[in-house]
Amino acid sequence: MGERLRAVLPSVFSVFLALAVCWVFIALTRDAETATGAYLQMLRGGLGDWAQYFESERLTVLTRPLGEAAIKAALLLLTGLSVTVAFKVGLFNIGAQGQMLVGALAAAVAGAQLQLPAVLHIPVAILAACVTGGLWALIAAGLKLARGVHEVISTIMLNWVAVSLVDNWLSVGPLRAGAGTHLSITGTAEIATSAQLPRLLGEMSRLHLGFPLALAVALAIWVWLSRLRSGFETRAVGLGSEAARAAGIPVVRRTAQAMGLAGALAGMAGAVLVLGTEYRYPGGLGAPYGFDGIAISLIGGNHPLGVALSALFFGALRAGGTRMQLLGVHKSYPELIQGLALLFVAGRLVWLALLRPRKVAPVVPTRQPETSPEVPRA
Amino acid sequence: MISLRHIHKRFGAVTALDDVSLDIGTGEVIALVGENGAGKSTLMNVLYGLYQADSGEVLVKGQPVRLRSPRDAIAQGIGMVHQHFMLVPTLTVAENVVLGREPSRWGRMDMDRACQEVAATCERFGFKLDPRARVDTLSVGSQQKVEIVKALHRGAQVLILDEPTAVLTPQESDDLFRVARGLAAGGRTVVFISHKLREVLSVAERVAVMRRGRLVAEVRAANTRPEELAALMVGESRVPLAEAQTYHPPGGEKLLEAKELRARGEDGRPALQGISLEVHAGEIVGIAGVDGNGQRELAEVLTGLRTLEGGGGNLLGGPLTGLTPAEARRRGVGHVPEDRLWRAVVKAMTVEENVALGRQTQAPFARGLQVDFAGRRERTAALLKAYEVRPPDPEVPLQALSGGNQQKVVVARELDAGPKLLVVVQPTRGLDIGAVAQVQAKLREARDKGAGVLLVSLDLEEVLALADRIYVFFEGRVTGTFTRPEFDEREIGRRMLGTHGEEVAHG
Repeated sequence: MGERLRAVLPSVFSVFLALAVCWVFIALTRDAETATGAYLQMLRGGLGDWAQYFESERLTVLTRPLGEAAIKAALLLLTGLSVTVAFKVGLFNIGAQGQMLVGALAAAVAGAQLQLPAVLHIPVAILAACVTGGLWALIAAGLKLARGVHEVISTIMLNWVAVSLVDNWLSVGPLRAGAGTHLSITGTAEIATSAQLPRLLGEMSRLHLGFPLALAVALAIWVWLSRLRSGFETRAVGLGSEAARAAGIPVVRRTAQAMGLAGALAGMAGAVLVLGTEYRYPGGLGAPYGFDGIAISLIGGNHPLGVALSALFFGALRAGGTRMQLLGVHKSYPELIQGLALLFVAGRLVWLALLRPRKVAPVVPTRQPETSPEVPRA
Repeated sequence: MISLRHIHKRFGAVTALDDVSLDIGTGEVIALVGENGAGKSTLMNVLYGLYQADSGEVLVKGQPVRLRSPRDAIAQGIGMVHQHFMLVPTLTVAENVVLGREPSRWGRMDMDRACQEVAATCERFGFKLDPRARVDTLSVGSQQKVEIVKALHRGAQVLILDEPTAVLTPQESDDLFRVARGLAAGGRTVVFISHKLREVLSVAERVAVMRRGRLVAEVRAANTRPEELAALMVGESRVPLAEAQTYHPPGGEKLLEAKELRARGEDGRPALQGISLEVHAGEIVGIAGVDGNGQRELAEVLTGLRTLEGGGGNLLGGPLTGLTPAEARRRGVGHVPEDRLWRAVVKAMTVEENVALGRQTQAPFARGLQVDFAGRRERTAALLKAYEVRPPDPEVPLQALSGGNQQKVVVARELDAGPKLLVVVQPTRGLDIGAVAQVQAKLREARDKGAGVLLVSLDLEEVLALADRIYVFFEGRVTGTFTRPEFDEREIGRRMLGTHGEEVAHG
């Protein structure tokens, strides 16, 4: 079995196991027929209703669901990459939610307040979101580097700061569309048409530029981490920061860069949400995608291309989940599947133990016979 | 008293013990020698119940016993002192000794009785230890005695000492040997695991030699020479021990001139308290000292890993103050750090990625902003071949290599960079004889090519074998300097303990 295959298999098994467990659960609470039916609906909702297409030849029965899946996948991919990039430098970014939130608001403000041609407006609005998200993440990085504050704690707390700041104050207060008037509108003002991400298939689907953008970003991150010097240095910091320091790698700079990039990616997810589908910052976004990013990243093996696959899969599942409701099955099952898959991936040591070849590979000694057991040093 | 019969033990595909039979008598000091990986520790761990043999049996007083855990072994009167002590540093001697079997009254630990019991045990076996002293205030030698008292207190008739002198000064070692002989004279048995042949021959009556999981010889110490033992251990007829060495006068360019260096250790205490020293091109300068007397901090200062708080000097044409690791590397400082897995390598990365570490921005490891995969592969393959690393595969994760091969990768990487000054700390710790010889040869070779080498080692034998000049460190100060051939082991030992000029106190 190839090393690469062995790295991928636990994730694949975990996803299938999660699918099976949820099927059993629906079958137990309802019946097997409903469970299978619900899964088929989910498939149609996520990958298109091919049966109907061959019957009616209406292209939209394919493009609509696929477009929705792609939109969801783009958001999951960007937040997943955010977690992945932080992970590569050895930090656990639980703060993609907050970073996405402030990014979304920045994109909404830039989209609404600026007047620029579309070729400039879109990049500027996305950049604003990236910078805001990045700075938000750098607060956690700064606390970590200067004071040793654990990033899990600080990013979680910054999530709540972001929610309070954006959802509970800015978007319902000073930045509310109807602020100063008596209009009771929630959310910020609508962005200019020039800031809207163009739809790629016109009226046939909501699929917009955000999807290819997210894929391109994933590719760029992969190239950076695997082929560039700075990516190598970043990984070295993540896997052995003291060895990296001794090797003359600027550990502080690489850590700050990676965490800033992680925040920028989450911020970009916020921009894609606002500029692509919402067209304004809705009152009380909450941005659940931030936490999804953790699951997507881990199921994707913290590898940019794996994360892309994982995001595509769960994007389709999410998009299809709404169609489960046709059979009275709750649409949160895709999230349940995702959560279970994460749980099973977390138990991947068990998978690896089961997958270990029976014969010991010649290059990997199983154990050093002379090594005495780990004992605490006096 | 104890017989090991036909013991077999495998770890996966590796046979650690292959049909080993050994009798251990009462009242003797027996030594178990062999290279790393020969199976000495595995055999003793079987006897101490830490490992279960796949087949074979252990007899105690003629009766077969099952040793499933150290608890069983202790019940059979077998005690073991590990290389790394298992003491709680913040507890007292008495508390450590009675730990797990504390005398209690009304459900509370009876400290007075514990102290009395421990004091009685100490007296019975002739140890001078204060039961109420906190363990972290004791010297390493005394901590080892606490471990021995702990085993004896639990009724050990057989005491296994795993590499007991690795952390001791010569004086402390002598003291330990006296203790071992005293215990044997009193009817106990001491099993000594070691690979230091001279000391083995001086303390043990009988020596059992292991090689690749087999017991290959049992000899009487009285009529055996170290060379013969070494030959038995490695299985070749002739082995160069510490090879004869000529003095290289410091004629070369002055690479390092450090003056009055001051720095704090990891715990915030002053570790360097005014160290001045020089290293010239073409010499190996050894730093001798007991662990924790500032050697580690000196190496860190010279490689830019620790901030200097006072003093200064010149290192390869630049100031020592404000040195960073990157700047040190730029000036030509190579570094083989003490803690390999923490500081020298990234174990989850591949061998070739580790070879690139430190030079990741230079040819042949990078081309512009990109990683040069082909150049890196080629250079790594060449180094692995030259240093006889097994397996010679650049793509395996570094952690798949044995410790000795990992260290060869580190030495290969640092020497390949062509350092002007090489700072090496404990370069051969934990390596087997073959790897030790190779690493030491490479250090000599670097010196002969004109590099300056600063060697920090806790193994005085190694410093004596390699160094052209020696600085002795004690509590962050230089307490002696020696130049080959005027190396006086006894005098160096006294200065390592800071007791030069006064009577050496044994205790």
